[in-house]
Amino acid sequence: MTDQWTDRLSEYLDDELAPEERAAIEGHLRHCVACGAVLADLKRIVIRAQGLEDRLPARDLWPAIAARIGASPPTTGRGDVVGLDAPRRRRRWSFSLPELAAAGIALMALSGGAAWLLHPVTPTVVAARGPVAEPSVTPGLTPALAPSGSFRIGLTPSRRAAGLSYDAAVADLEGVLTAGRGRLDSTTVRVIERNLATIDSAIAQAQRAVAADSANAYLNSHLAETMRRKLELLRQAAALVTSVS
Amino acid sequence: MLFSLASGALTALALVQQIDTTVPAQQGQRLVVDGYAGEIDVKTWGRNAVRVEADPSSRSSVEVVSSGVSITVRTEGRRGPPSSVDLVITVPVWMGLDLSGVYTDVSVVGVRAPITVETVQGEVDVTGGEGLVSLRSVQGHVHLKGAKGRIDVHSVNEDVRVSDASGEIVAETVNGEIVLERVDATSLDAGTVNGDVGYDGPVRSGGRYTLSSHNGDVTLAVAENASAAVSVSTFNGEFESAFPVTLRETRKGKRFSFVLGAGGAQVSLESFQGTVSLVRPGQLRRSSEDDHDRDRDHDRDRDHDRDHDGNDDPNR
Repeated sequence: MTDQWTDRLSEYLDDELAPEERAAIEGHLRHCVACGAVLADLKRIVIRAQGLEDRLPARDLWPAIAARIGASPPTTGRGDVVGLDAPRRRRRWSFSLPELAAAGIALMALSGGAAWLLHPVTPTVVAARGPVAEPSVTPGLTPALAPSGSFRIGLTPSRRAAGLSYDAAVADLEGVLTAGRGRLDSTTVRVIERNLATIDSAIAQAQRAVAADSANAYLNSHLAETMRRKLELLRQAAALVTSVS
Repeated sequence: MLFSLASGALTALALVQQIDTTVPAQQGQRLVVDGYAGEIDVKTWGRNAVRVEADPSSRSSVEVVSSGVSITVRTEGRRGPPSSVDLVITVPVWMGLDLSGVYTDVSVVGVRAPITVETVQGEVDVTGGEGLVSLRSVQGHVHLKGAKGRIDVHSVNEDVRVSDASGEIVAETVNGEIVLERVDATSLDAGTVNGDVGYDGPVRSGGRYTLSSHNGDVTLAVAENASAAVSVSTFNGEFESAFPVTLRETRKGKRFSFVLGAGGAQVSLESFQGTVSLVRPGQLRRSSEDDHDRDRDHDRDRDHDRDHDGNDDPNR
């Protein structure tokens, strides 16, 4: 497999390749396991992303942006928010390889948050959310429950955004766990802490590996998968807290 | 003295109430069990009825309610959480199960229907199950045998084992190993952070198989006539094979792929810092002695926790 093809899988998925390039990449995909796996991941993310609800912004941000960049005023005259059901180009969900893991993390954080919202419990303590450049610290948590550090590697905007979503979801769930840990027996708390620490250690190792080789698809997906495990365990722990409430 | 002993025995007898009740079951009804502490032991018989046997203490009660869609068995405390109650429940083989508890061991034998189990501190041992079979424990092993369908098995702090089963399989734990033996998976996603992962079964053309670990070894048993495109990835681990393979391509880092036969299945083997191995069927490593040692350590941990935690459930 060559990086040339990996980086063009997103265009292939969006049907934006010339016919000869498309034929070439299809030939390549018939033999390349790694590209096939990346393409499958891309398709999964695109499907999940397309399933997200479109939401209008609360207000039109364009006038302020236009003023700051010196662009001409909006042609609608009133500066109204344009509805998402208005005619528009087909939405393009395109990812470069390094963005794939970030997109996956953002989506899992969103789905994690959505699942959490289904639980009819309002957390009484909400963990502090630190800026993405600093590790967020949750007062009262033991080190094992405290976040091991935000997703800060590769400071592209997409990764930063994914890191924010992930950190927010983790912080929310840790807040619920902190507030409710007194309702769980100490053995369960200890087991959860021990396993969170195990995952945090794996995340830290994977982060260091990605920092050293950011184009490595395996390391990126491994990091994303390990982070997903942490989110999943926190969701499970938070569900336990609510079930004994 | 004799009188007081006799009187104590009578009191103890009076505190235990035997329950043995049988209710008719209709096709389509599910069994829902909401336990707290103790054991849930489900077995099958040839009758369209559900029998519930239990011996709760005076601090707890067992409620059995039949509705159109389910037969529900619930343990309740008269004041606070129920004490430990062991439930023995006999059901028709066609009856789907939803079993849950907190300090609860769950055992199921012989059911040929969907099964859902969730417990926190307890072992899960299921033989049978068809359709969706979803088993979860936080601190307890999850063992499944003879299931067919969509299989979803999760632990957190213990091992996951699946044997003599078939279907789409997802197996996951954090601190434990995953072993799949004599399993015919049409697709497989097996992953752990701190433990080994092994699969011994056919790889089906068109199927996708992912085995991954962070700290442990990953082992795949491959038949001589297997047809699979295999990718191997590790960061700080090794690769070994019991038979020769011809690498198709290698990439930066420790990543490479090869094709067996026509390459019909997609196989990904990943270990961040363990060894990825290919073996022949029947050679999946079983470190039984290590398992014993670890079980003993876990038991010791749990005993130690119970001895020292004022906050633990007093019934355990």
